[in-house]
Amino acid sequence: MPDKQTYAEVFQSRGLSRRDFLKFCSLTSVSLGLAPSLLPKVVHAMETKPRTPVIWLHGLECTCCTESFIRSSHPIVADVIMNMISLDYDDTLSAAAGHQLEEVRRKIMKEYKGQYILAVEGNVPTKDDGVYCMVGGDSFLNVVKETAADAAAVIAWGACASFGCVQNADPNPTGAQPIDKIISGKPIVKVPGCPPIAEVMTGVITYVHTFGKLPELDRLGRPKAFYSTRIHDKCYRRAFYDAGMFVRGFDEESAKKGWCLYKMGCKGPTTYNSCSKIQWNAGTSFPIGSGHPCIGCSEPNFWDKGPFYTRLADVSFLGTDTNADKIGVVAVGAAAAGAAAHAAVTAMKKKHHDEASEK
Amino acid sequence: MGRLIEEIYVWRLPVRLYHWINAFSIAALMITGLYIASPVLNPPHGEAVWRHNFAMWRYVHFGVAFIFTGNFLYRLYYALFSDDRYARFGGFRPWSPKWWGKPFKEQVASYLFLRKDEPNYVGHNPVAALAHFIFIFCGSTFMIVTGLAMFAENRPGGFLDAAFGWVLPLFGSSYNLHYAHHIVAWIFPFYLIVHLYAVFRHDIVDRTSVTSSIITGYKHKVEDEAAA
Repeated sequence: MPDKQTYAEVFQSRGLSRRDFLKFCSLTSVSLGLAPSLLPKVVHAMETKPRTPVIWLHGLECTCCTESFIRSSHPIVADVIMNMISLDYDDTLSAAAGHQLEEVRRKIMKEYKGQYILAVEGNVPTKDDGVYCMVGGDSFLNVVKETAADAAAVIAWGACASFGCVQNADPNPTGAQPIDKIISGKPIVKVPGCPPIAEVMTGVITYVHTFGKLPELDRLGRPKAFYSTRIHDKCYRRAFYDAGMFVRGFDEESAKKGWCLYKMGCKGPTTYNSCSKIQWNAGTSFPIGSGHPCIGCSEPNFWDKGPFYTRLADVSFLGTDTNADKIGVVAVGAAAAGAAAHAAVTAMKKKHHDEASEK
Repeated sequence: MGRLIEEIYVWRLPVRLYHWINAFSIAALMITGLYIASPVLNPPHGEAVWRHNFAMWRYVHFGVAFIFTGNFLYRLYYALFSDDRYARFGGFRPWSPKWWGKPFKEQVASYLFLRKDEPNYVGHNPVAALAHFIFIFCGSTFMIVTGLAMFAENRPGGFLDAAFGWVLPLFGSSYNLHYAHHIVAWIFPFYLIVHLYAVFRHDIVDRTSVTSSIITGYKHKVEDEAAA
């Protein structure tokens, strides 16, 4: 395989027709929310631009992002994307290992200086010089910094790299930090989710490849095309929410009927992601679709907003079982008790005063 | 019983109107807000698409929230630009050490039973002014800003999103924003108790008819019994 193939050439070499290629291009532009007028641009880029070299690093993580990514809805599309982007370094997917693989990473960094994309899966433990995650004999902290130095852009895959996920949940024993706390001065796109949806991942890569820049990002650094609306906004159970028909227990008739999971602690109303739109596993289903409330896995610090099955999170520093309402009720109770006590003292004082004036 | 010496017109109509719109708005917002957080009523019968039970609670909450906001801005305008000496911000200067001086300390001492007599004010006493500032001014501002930021989430890229979208990253996430709005809402029932207690107590101790003054506008100056 020549070193710098274009997307179109990859399709061709795999025996796919031009029709398939154009279908792929239009599907991608639709999923990116691009105007139809931009389709020729996508096709042109796919035909002419050489594949973008990508270095994919794995830090403190569970590899669920990779697992999701390799299941991108259409197997052939997934295959093609893997070939298109020229995934030159990925410790979990590469055939090579050890020093050989580390050599490849350095080679890419040198040959494509300032052109390659750094994709980071997992986050970076910073405590004790980063000893809690060692890759190839060096701390992951150093590897990330070294690799990011000459990258064109950085993609933070998943909740870990974007916001921290379970590793930096309270009390964060390894001092794990998301990528944007480690790297500065590089364009970073966050693709949160635990894991992110496969089509979202391929969509982001396609956009970067096509336009040579990061997609439009929202205020938290996520691509607007996929993270601008909440799961709740496009949830197929929304009608039950508006009607006030809620599931009150998993063993109830209402759960069987597929009513709204709001009362079961569903975080859909506060979670920005495309699950209710694109869904998972080639549009098969998504958590709410299979009767489980959304746990908000693409939101910052979602592990610390527990328990998953209640609407109001515990206030951790006051211990479990303390939430906003309990604090409120205690405060109002204290106000009432204080008022009563003050009233009693006032009455006593008045009585004392009256007695004094009678004398 | 002390003789009525003087009737003073303290709370002008705009102030009284504001007070009651504010009171009813807060009551409605608190009730609908708690219901939205925890919908306890039984579900309706029939097809979900024809029912809007929960949507109505939210509709009322948002509608009243805009009345509350408008009313708040109207009071703010009145406080800044009117010549109503009892309703203006004029005398409230917490940034100046002088404001925390004798009148404030005397009032605190009186509330703590450290003084025999009760300082008498026609308008708000300094402690009341501070409490109103913290709970009503800061509290309402917080609820309005966080509320509008959450309302803006319904329409990404819209006007409210442009105006209040910055609030969400400030809190870290949409969930935190909702949580903050929920927990800070509790200051209103808290303050309601403190407020009502203070009003009833002053009415009994000073006999200034402060309770009815928010309806009639008039406070009474009563002859001190001891002096009579």
